[in-house]
Amino acid sequence: MSNLLTLLILLPVVAGLVCYFVRSSAVRNLTVVATGAILAAASLGLLGQGSFEPLAVGSFLGIGSDFLITVMDFALLGVIFFYGVKHRNLLIQGFTLAQVVLLAWFEIVMVEHVDVPALAGDQLSLIMVLVISIVGSLICIFAIPYMKEHEEHLHLKKSRQPRFFFFLLLFLGAMNGLVLANNILWLYFFFEVTTLCSFMLIGHDATEIATRNAVRALWMNSLGGLAFVIGMMLVYMQANTLNIAAILGGASQGALMVTGVGFLCLAGFTKAAQVPFQSWLLGAMVAPTPVSALLHSSTMVKAGVYVILRFAPVFAGTLLSDGVAICGAFTFLACAALGVGQSNGKKILAYSTVANLGLIICCAGINTPLAISAAMLLILFHAISKSLLFLCVGTIEQAIGSRDIEDMRGLYARHPRTALITVIGILTMMLPPFGVLLGKWMAIEASAGNIWVVIMLATGSALMVVYLARWAGSLMASREANAAPERQPLLTRLPLMLLCGGAVVLSLFSPWIYNTMVAPMFNAPPFIIRFGSFEASTGAFVVGPLFIVFALGLIYAVKAASGFRKVRIAPPYLAGSNAGEAGTYIGPMNVPVPFSTGNLYLGELFAEGKLTPIFNALAVALIVLMLGGAL
Amino acid sequence: MDTLILVIIGLVAGPVLGGLIAGLDRRVTAWFQSRQGPPITQAFYDVAKLFGKEKMVVNQWQILCSWVYVIAAATSLALFFAQSDLLLIFFVQAVGAVFMVMGAMAAKSPYSQVGAQRELLQVLAYEPVLILVFVGFYLVTGSFSVSAVWQVDQPLLAKMPLMYLALGYALTIKLRKSPFDFSTSHHGHQELVKGVLTEYSGPYLGLIEVAHWYETVLVLGLCALFWTTNVAWMIVLIGCTYLLEILVDNTMARMTWRWMLKRVWLLGIGLSVVNLIWLYAG
Repeated sequence: MSNLLTLLILLPVVAGLVCYFVRSSAVRNLTVVATGAILAAASLGLLGQGSFEPLAVGSFLGIGSDFLITVMDFALLGVIFFYGVKHRNLLIQGFTLAQVVLLAWFEIVMVEHVDVPALAGDQLSLIMVLVISIVGSLICIFAIPYMKEHEEHLHLKKSRQPRFFFFLLLFLGAMNGLVLANNILWLYFFFEVTTLCSFMLIGHDATEIATRNAVRALWMNSLGGLAFVIGMMLVYMQANTLNIAAILGGASQGALMVTGVGFLCLAGFTKAAQVPFQSWLLGAMVAPTPVSALLHSSTMVKAGVYVILRFAPVFAGTLLSDGVAICGAFTFLACAALGVGQSNGKKILAYSTVANLGLIICCAGINTPLAISAAMLLILFHAISKSLLFLCVGTIEQAIGSRDIEDMRGLYARHPRTALITVIGILTMMLPPFGVLLGKWMAIEASAGNIWVVIMLATGSALMVVYLARWAGSLMASREANAAPERQPLLTRLPLMLLCGGAVVLSLFSPWIYNTMVAPMFNAPPFIIRFGSFEASTGAFVVGPLFIVFALGLIYAVKAASGFRKVRIAPPYLAGSNAGEAGTYIGPMNVPVPFSTGNLYLGELFAEGKLTPIFNALAVALIVLMLGGAL
Repeated sequence: MDTLILVIIGLVAGPVLGGLIAGLDRRVTAWFQSRQGPPITQAFYDVAKLFGKEKMVVNQWQILCSWVYVIAAATSLALFFAQSDLLLIFFVQAVGAVFMVMGAMAAKSPYSQVGAQRELLQVLAYEPVLILVFVGFYLVTGSFSVSAVWQVDQPLLAKMPLMYLALGYALTIKLRKSPFDFSTSHHGHQELVKGVLTEYSGPYLGLIEVAHWYETVLVLGLCALFWTTNVAWMIVLIGCTYLLEILVDNTMARMTWRWMLKRVWLLGIGLSVVNLIWLYAG
């Protein structure tokens, strides 16, 4: 047990150091692939052993591990402060200094240092470990060929990949530590490590815009760190313990406790890039694509929703809970609306991530077993589908040199495999019987008791369908009968295929996943599983039968479509004035005139520049309302 | 077993009723316009003729998408007859709608492309309204499933009158009636030719027509749920609603998507919200 935990947290760190110091690409590639495989196996092993009670870690080389974490905490804040000074950013310096002062006060004056079991694993932690270790590892493996090509484009004299893979792997270790931590100070330490890693990775290319966006990410997450310290202090004042299990077990819902958790939620909001903090995650897309995939799916933003879900039992039934639900639902609606106006593929995905995180946070705020189940399934399935889509955009970008979905029009003609995987990825994000929609269905049914939340969810989910469906549609096209097959490196294809297969197959097994991983959390689970269907008195979702019907239907449809070369291929209708060349019509003077079509981005209604300030102002008001509700 | 029989009834009744309604629709419209109109079974002849035509496509996606559309539409009606979850039924129906749009976008044709964009805007307009109507069902019956609706002892129309009006918007859009028939219409003489359906032809257009029948029956079935205590009144309700739809179709001009989005979101969602507030308070 403790061996597995050590492996999950420390192996990525050690592997990262190997990548950093051994400047050989062969060693690096082998290290990354091996680490990924071991992490995946270890996470499955941990799942096999099931949830475990809090356990103590003891000492390391004769030094108490708690003391070690404290020292590293201050060192980390020192590093962040250094970057604040280097980039002359007063916000970072201020937020970090405030953290140092408060943390010193907390550690020296307030806390009675008693042994607290440092690590624990419940169902939520185990699911998170799976997501981090498997999805995260696949992204790291995808990064190997991607970064090779990325650097060939940049013509670097000296490869910066050692640094890149160091932070990438460190990120996985920190995330595993974060979700397994039972001592709130450990949680805080790993929370800060993810802040630093994301700063380093966003700024990796060291261009002006990368640096600017990295600094923005750092100050916003430093604000989150400050909120975390304040929340931690307030919670300690009431609960008198650093033990998270004890905090959750204690039934007290005093004002201090709820306010403290309110601040922890604020920290979660910044990390999960909820409106008005969404700009750091949007800025993060300047980084190489594997970084975006990692930040958006399995790490960083999921750390934010994890913290909120972790402390959700404490604020059940309070006004804070309603506040969290409304803030989350508002983010869902706002970012779904902002996504409609975008044609940049990465930006569409970014807004869709923020919206889905809002949905998960909204579920944490609704705080019923049904809603928490929805949140956990969404975490799992969103991570798979979203990482897949980011890796697809990365692959497409390297193939066609653009990430704009207008340029991806007709991608199937040249890159059939990537286009098909992207289409499947998009479908798993929005349609039944796939897992993300299952989660959304649960979320809407769970929110039916709260009129404002359900209105926002209903509107937001309609907006999401619009921008995802038109993207999937525009990828399809005709392919020449004798076109060359698409070639790509094995390490690019493998993660894409595995994630794509995972998104589909795991959706089929969602009833089983629910039964083994989610249902044990509750005394009265919201669903019973019968015939592969979720059943409850409030509604039912027939996963298994739907899969069978759609699978048979799709096989038939594919078979019908595969014989298309036998039917007559006609040019599209152009009022009878088709010119010989495709994509042109016969215009005035009998000259062929090319035509083009584009998506409707509804700029007049969904302009980013116009809507963002309004949404930000509303979101700030809602957050103030939420924290006020906690007081 | 009962469920299985209901599912089979649904799968058969969908196209039969849908086709008859389409025929009746043309007869009544003709009567409004002082014409005689085609026989009631004309819709079946039309589709049979489409199935007999030569297979012709721009690319293979259209074959795939038209099949998935009809399968999803039939599945959603089967789930409705199996008295399943309303939200799930709606999401399954959305699979069909999305695939129909994707098939239209697969062809590089300005007409079907613009039609597809407009179709997505129509989905955008009616989806929130439908979800809110389902939330209304949940608040009255305590469940999202259709079976719970049959246990009420007072017609839902009494508790959700405004929601029924809001559903009328969704119904008009789904039936492709004026003023909301701008993505495609039953008449091939709009500025987009046949809009989103322009590039579907022959047997594949026939499939889409059958899918549309399934959807028509599904949406009218949703209307029927508003009066489940008495079958006679249920039929009267649906009859009057459909007659009103035909009247609206014949008296309204085709409007733009801007007009639709504003109208349906403000009035449709507004009516639903007011009705929801009554239900929460009650």
